[in-house]
Amino acid sequence: MADPAPSEGRRRTLKTLLGTGATALGAAIVYPIVAYLKPPEVTGEQVTSVLVGKVEDFAPGSGTLFRFGNKPGILLRFPNGSFKAFTATCTHLDCTVQYREDMGLIWCACHNGKYDLNGKNIEGPPPRPLDPFEVVVKGDEVHVTQT
Amino acid sequence: MKSIRTALSGWVEERVDLSGVKEFIQHKSVPKNRHSVWYYFGGVTLFLFIVQVISGILLLFYYRPGADTAFESIRFLMTKVQFGWLMRSVHSWSANLMVLAAAVHMFSVYLTKAYRKPREVTWVSGMLLFFLSLAFGFSGYLLPWNELAFFATKVGTDIAGSVPLVGEPIMQLLRGGPDVGGATLSRFFGFHVALFPAIFTVLLTIHLLLVQKQGMSSPIGAAEHGEEKSMPFFPNFVLRDLLLWLIVLNILAILAVFFPWELGVKADPFAPAPAGILPEWYFLFMFQILKLLPAHIWFIEGEVFGILFFGVAGLLWVLVPFWDRASQRGQNNRLITYLGIFVIVFILFFTILGWVM
Amino acid sequence: MKKLLPLLTALVMFILLPQFGAHAQTEDQCISCHASMDDKPSAAFRSDVHRSAGLSCADCHGGDRRSDDMEIAMNKNKGFVGVPKGNAIAETCGKCHDDEERMRKAGFKGETGQLKALRASAHSFGTKATDALIMQCTNCHGAHGVRRHDDPESPVSPLRVVGLCSSCHSNPDYMRRFNPALATDQLAKYRTSVHGMKNGAGDTRVATCADCHTGHSIRPAEETTSSVNAFNIPTTCGRCHSDADRMKPYGIPTTQLAEYKSSVHGKALLEKHDASAPSCNDCHGNHGAAPPNVESISNVCGTCHALNAELFRQSRHKVEFDRMGKPECETCHGNHGVQPATQAMFSFDRDGVCGKCHGPDRAPVGYKTALKMRSMLDSLVGTIAMAERRIDEAEQKGMEVDDIRFALRDANQARLQSRTAVHAFNLEEFSKVLDPGLRIATTSLSDANAANEEYVYRRVGLAVVTLIITLTIVLLFFFIRHIEKKQAAV
Repeated sequence: MADPAPSEGRRRTLKTLLGTGATALGAAIVYPIVAYLKPPEVTGEQVTSVLVGKVEDFAPGSGTLFRFGNKPGILLRFPNGSFKAFTATCTHLDCTVQYREDMGLIWCACHNGKYDLNGKNIEGPPPRPLDPFEVVVKGDEVHVTQT
Repeated sequence: MKSIRTALSGWVEERVDLSGVKEFIQHKSVPKNRHSVWYYFGGVTLFLFIVQVISGILLLFYYRPGADTAFESIRFLMTKVQFGWLMRSVHSWSANLMVLAAAVHMFSVYLTKAYRKPREVTWVSGMLLFFLSLAFGFSGYLLPWNELAFFATKVGTDIAGSVPLVGEPIMQLLRGGPDVGGATLSRFFGFHVALFPAIFTVLLTIHLLLVQKQGMSSPIGAAEHGEEKSMPFFPNFVLRDLLLWLIVLNILAILAVFFPWELGVKADPFAPAPAGILPEWYFLFMFQILKLLPAHIWFIEGEVFGILFFGVAGLLWVLVPFWDRASQRGQNNRLITYLGIFVIVFILFFTILGWVM
Repeated sequence: MKKLLPLLTALVMFILLPQFGAHAQTEDQCISCHASMDDKPSAAFRSDVHRSAGLSCADCHGGDRRSDDMEIAMNKNKGFVGVPKGNAIAETCGKCHDDEERMRKAGFKGETGQLKALRASAHSFGTKATDALIMQCTNCHGAHGVRRHDDPESPVSPLRVVGLCSSCHSNPDYMRRFNPALATDQLAKYRTSVHGMKNGAGDTRVATCADCHTGHSIRPAEETTSSVNAFNIPTTCGRCHSDADRMKPYGIPTTQLAEYKSSVHGKALLEKHDASAPSCNDCHGNHGAAPPNVESISNVCGTCHALNAELFRQSRHKVEFDRMGKPECETCHGNHGVQPATQAMFSFDRDGVCGKCHGPDRAPVGYKTALKMRSMLDSLVGTIAMAERRIDEAEQKGMEVDDIRFALRDANQARLQSRTAVHAFNLEEFSKVLDPGLRIATTSLSDANAANEEYVYRRVGLAVVTLIITLTIVLLFFFIRHIEKKQAAV
């Protein structure tokens, strides 16, 4: 018990430092949690079903490309108003296919592969038909789901 | 600063009489002996449990159960949500560390015979908590709905199903149907976030209250060896606890960042089982033994024999305070020590064997 | 001694021969009786291979050949069956021809099991013995004047078999009864083919119907067991066309099959089992098989590679190649051994094809264009490969790369389309396809790099947090020591 002053001073310094450390630590824990709770921007990660758009967005006799997860899809609307959808990945070498109004079929620009409007490969190099999706019209919304 | 604190405590004390609690904490002490280091593992387990609760609740904000959504939601969490990868990694690592810490805690209590009178209920509640932790691990493993988890669950529930008489209904109950599928996922989710936490909370409260009430157990014969030193529970022991918690937190952070938990590929019930299906490491020794057992032992199936053996052994282990008479009388029971060491070596051996094979 | 030998032979013959004749006469009364009636079957049977093998009428028709009494010889109790009808015809032949052991004992070295094969063929309604056959053995081979298939008189001999098959297969009315969808123009096409023209000129070594379709195991081309199924055609054609001895008189190479097997088409068909890949007949025709000639190559290749052919036909190369008499696609890509096209084709070393005509000194404009296209392709392919590597790296580290991968698809598509665009041999057209791809690939690469940097950021974040925790631990340690020192002092 010679001199309590330096001990008291050390205690205060230690306490201050410890308080700073604890605060920093708290921040290091709270920051990720707050960032975590912030809802991220959704970029179509839901891959079992995709909302492609409103019925009136698609003219009869047209084909529209959409994103289904990390793959492209193609939505066809027929003159009678009905829909059909397929993966838009050519079964030959994975190029993205497109709807050709002039030919009345699905066409791949890479090697002139052709599919009919049921997705069946009818000409050119594609070895298999396009995989179909299921189109569900809920009210005026067009949803595409995996079959 | 100080005045605010006194004002606040005064405000509380006017309404709730905390003097008893204060008194208790001030006078509580922890025995100091060569086994004192083991006292900290219960605290570490508790800390990891708290981490589990927090990270688990946070994961719930993004997790969506269901065979169509579970895997996708976890992938979304890991790739799109800020620090989502960290949260999942922390939850997985902390779960494993918690099982490890609980196991160390349990074996240390066993070997120091701290379960003896008057702490029988503490031991039994602790054992139940331990089994519940394993159940947490088993049910949580399936929730990401990836291939590995799917098949591990299939194998795990199959083993449960091979128990005679009750096995089949238990398996159906666990799976929510004849096979592992979307129904199983829903059930396991229910177990993991509702049923188990509820039971766990009750048991944990009993366990902690008893520990506080009865204090830490001194090893048998510590008094005779003149080892009956002690340290104040507050602040000495609490601060040491805190120090260790920080060290564990540090380890957890490093593991979570350097060894992020992989998500793997989505479970496909119709895909063939991939090679190298392993259960979580804490089930590995049982899995390995069941694999090594011959097809028939006497008149019963090898697997059934193994399960019955584990059941009986586990029950005896839980009931050790009631049949270990020597320790109750304060005698050093060597047999119990050797049995414990044998069990540890046995488990380690088969865990390693399962790992390398 | 030498003079004695013929003498001795004559002596032996003198003793033995009459006995042979007598034996035959007493044994086979069918022939002698029927011959006296001057009927056609017995006349035809005189030259039948079966007669020279020692068979008699009764071996097929039953009855007793030794009796000259009609009542006894053609008695049903003696097993006489008369003229076999329907499947009984084939079964009669099959009794011997499906019995390999019996055929070998009789000294026959050729094919056996024909009835079995016929039952499994397109000329049968099924494979069971009770199923009716569309064709009986006698429809092709005749009944009583059966000859070896290489006997020019045989209806199945190389020069006559074409007429035999087409007697049904060129008759639309008849064929409609069995398969209305089947073409009936095979003979007409065949006569335009090299095989058919040579066959028409009397060459017995060229392919006829049976060489490709087999004699008895004829199956529709859609079936995988058929010798003319797309997957089996290379082997079927190669059986003759890889045979150096057989091709010698015609002076044509025999390396086509080996080259084809190593080609992008051959690998696609035979290794990847891609049924859309061309087999021999897809370029050469089947019944009208002939080499496509110089001007029609781009049409033949263009049936599948339509865009390439279209661009090529509008290009300057078309004009120049025609002028120089160079075969279009083949000049750069080869024919049977066509390899996957890569940017290496643009180089001016051994692998390159542009260097065949272009160089710094000759046709230098093309030389410069080729060099430029090569460098553009190199940078696109290189950037894509680099981006893919960096994406994989980032993915390994658990980073989100789906979006980057999705974007990179378009770069890959541009790479594929640029391979088509090359055929315009026009730098401007080429850039229109390739440049957007390069831009996408560059963006993907920088995104992938960013993802990898994010990973570093995590590590740095961890380092900071670990440092904070460690410092707090140290401070706490000193704090505890400080408190306990004070307690000890008290």
